[in-house]
Amino acid sequence: MAETRTSQHSDEILLDMRGISKSYPGVQALEDADFSVRRGEIHGLVGKNGAGKSTLMGVLMGIREADSGTIAIEGETLRHASPQTMLDAGISYVPQHINLLNTLTVAENILVGNLPKNRFGLVDWKAVNEDSQARLSRLGLKLDVRQLVEGLSVAERTMLAIAKALFNNARLIILDEPTAALTRVDIDLLFSFVRAQQQQGVAFIYISHHLEEVFEICDRVTVMRDGRIVGTRAIDEIDVPGLVHMMVGGGVKEYERDSTAGREVVFEASNLSRRGAYEDVNFALRQGEVVGISGLQGSGVDELAQGLFGLERLGVGEVYVGGDAYRPDSPKAAFEAGVAYLPQDRHRYGLIQLRSVRENVTYSVLDRLVGRLGVLLRKDEHELTEEYIDKLGIVTPGPEQRTLLLSGGNQQKVVFAKLAATQPTVLILHEPTQGVDVQAKVDIFNIINDLSTQGVATMIISSEVRELIGLCDRIFVMCGGRITREFSRAADDMKPEDILLAIEGGPLDADA
Amino acid sequence: MKRAEPNRLVSLMVDNLIWLFVIGAFIAFSLLSDRFLSPYNLGNILLRSAAFGMLVLSQAYTFITGNFDLSVESTLGLAAMFAALMLVTTEAGGLGWQLHPLLVILLMLVLGGFIGLFNGVLITKVGVNNLLVTIAMLFVLRGATYGISPGTSISFFPKEFTWLGGGTLARIVTDNGNFVLSVAGIFVILAFLVGHIHTRYTQFGRNMYAVGADADAARAAGINVDRVVIIVYIIAGVCAAFAGLLQAGRLNAATPTMGANLIFAVHGAAIIGGMSIYGGRGNIIGAFGGVLLWSILDTGLNIMGVSPFWIDVSRGLLLLFAVLLDALRVRYQHNVQVRLALADTTVGLDDKDQDYG
Repeated sequence: MAETRTSQHSDEILLDMRGISKSYPGVQALEDADFSVRRGEIHGLVGKNGAGKSTLMGVLMGIREADSGTIAIEGETLRHASPQTMLDAGISYVPQHINLLNTLTVAENILVGNLPKNRFGLVDWKAVNEDSQARLSRLGLKLDVRQLVEGLSVAERTMLAIAKALFNNARLIILDEPTAALTRVDIDLLFSFVRAQQQQGVAFIYISHHLEEVFEICDRVTVMRDGRIVGTRAIDEIDVPGLVHMMVGGGVKEYERDSTAGREVVFEASNLSRRGAYEDVNFALRQGEVVGISGLQGSGVDELAQGLFGLERLGVGEVYVGGDAYRPDSPKAAFEAGVAYLPQDRHRYGLIQLRSVRENVTYSVLDRLVGRLGVLLRKDEHELTEEYIDKLGIVTPGPEQRTLLLSGGNQQKVVFAKLAATQPTVLILHEPTQGVDVQAKVDIFNIINDLSTQGVATMIISSEVRELIGLCDRIFVMCGGRITREFSRAADDMKPEDILLAIEGGPLDADA
Repeated sequence: MKRAEPNRLVSLMVDNLIWLFVIGAFIAFSLLSDRFLSPYNLGNILLRSAAFGMLVLSQAYTFITGNFDLSVESTLGLAAMFAALMLVTTEAGGLGWQLHPLLVILLMLVLGGFIGLFNGVLITKVGVNNLLVTIAMLFVLRGATYGISPGTSISFFPKEFTWLGGGTLARIVTDNGNFVLSVAGIFVILAFLVGHIHTRYTQFGRNMYAVGADADAARAAGINVDRVVIIVYIIAGVCAAFAGLLQAGRLNAATPTMGANLIFAVHGAAIIGGMSIYGGRGNIIGAFGGVLLWSILDTGLNIMGVSPFWIDVSRGLLLLFAVLLDALRVRYQHNVQVRLALADTTVGLDDKDQDYG
């Protein structure tokens, strides 16, 4: 954006967090983090998932208690950080999924709990509408206050949430991924609103995975990695590659496996398109090949994964599994065609948590385990379960343990066992390492490796770029609904910086 | 915002669909039967559904906050039986106390309030699911009604007690029969009017909507969500006790089965009146429309001589229709959002530029 920066941020420190540490059992979520925000600045906060951004913001909002460290606002150190004291201090949070009273009007949302009354003590609706309209226009926000919030666009809701925070005297507003569900037009709208408030001296913390936007709107940016603050830079002192380098760090690959890709193509898509989700997607996976797909939220990668498993509409185009045309209308149809899917949210879709390991492992293949008269063959079922507990190293007191009581990593292994039991041709894994510890990660990588050795073609949708580099033969990057780049081990171009840059929609190859 | 206009018009229609149905049903029965429009019948429609109306009002209150109370039909029965016992002589089946009717009315309303308080506290403070609590109370209260009853119905109440449910304000004599302006009918209209003003024009009423729209957001706005829900259950209990008073007054009797099996019809009427069990939607006036439609259908079919079995079928279908309508309404509103989101991606550029510069 060629616009001149007109922010009037002074060097006056509004927020000063010093030496913040926070640990959870087994994880150091924050280590000695220093973070400060000046009055009237827009301060970007970036880092990969799990870098510690949300923990740091949780401490700032008073919903998480730090083990050590101090928080000062305008030079005054807060003794006790509770959600209420932080709100009183003028710190407000606008989450990605905005909490408003959807079935009520904009006006009521603004004045909720404190509606103007007439002399009979009854709500004066005329005053409600005029008062809230006046408040909004003072902020330069043109919304019809009489319409229902559920009729607003996401950008309008975000601006309304910011406005509400300002009416409560917020001085520092945390925006968490505000543009994830927005179109370019709406982003411009939101940004001009945010800048207008900045002119009035309001400071913002801007959390985003979209680095271009960070450069567009922020005055300074702080990078986090593995629970630490890597550094804070003025925005004109750094560029996208530099930022990406700070985010990725110089670490080595986490895992290395040899390619087991065969020759035969078993999973192929051509010209796959779904309006509003993805466009013209083409890929071909060979037997035993592991391919990663990475993209930001809104890039179409999540929709593609769910579409390929019949959880959402797949749209137009052709897909073949093992040479046969593949049209998944439902997960059941996908299973029957030999496609297994590990959902991102295993608690909701992957596991029946109240039931045992045995039931979870076998419920997709029960039709293979029935004997005469439709009675289940308990012995076969137990053998199958034991086999997978053994093979995948699931740590459980026994096959009858309820999966709810297993650790995250072991739960994930149970889901893998369920998928493997269906003996799939194609395995689609959606963020397979989310929320599992380091040891379980390595186990899961080994499972993926074992399955690919047996010839299963695996597609991994993940934002963990370094994990993908260690696992995959090829990595696709999706951006704006299209596969924009392909990296491969064969071409030896799987560099974390390049991949992150491509994910972020950075400079494309001339031939891409 | 230009693009929101058609949406609002359609939404207005969707929200007030009930009045189209009421008018439609009224016209249809007037055409189908010449007796439907008779003065006697018109006066009767509201009188016969007065107790039912109070139960619908009680559910409208709980629905707005995203709750419901299945036990109100049993509260109706228990309150009526409780009052009857204190009113009449031992020969007539009572306790022989023969307390003053106004005191008895006060006591039965307090009883209803206490039952509501108990439900509300269990649901909010103890955190028991509202379905389970109110089903349990449905049985407890109905059982207690049978338990305290002398086994038969109790009748012959003092005039002061039956006035509200069975009294007449005015009688207009016409060639076609008499039009009776019942106290109960006027009372129900007034009750809904008060309910409307309370929910629409008081801070408490708007807090109810906020709680039903999103309890977490309401809490964040400084609303004491538990308090709102408890008070709403108390109001529901008092409304149910009023229903008992109206019913006992109209019949001049209390039986242990009074109110039994009404609750789902009550929910049906409230939902078809635009209320949603998901909370935060609908209004009390719409719920009154639900009551009217339900009783017009009832009386209309009765007058036409339709067999009671088929009346039950029609009630069931209306209920099914109401639930379907609720689902469609939610889906419609969801679709509107999706459509608006899509519209933002292609059109609306000009609008936006004008609006925001």
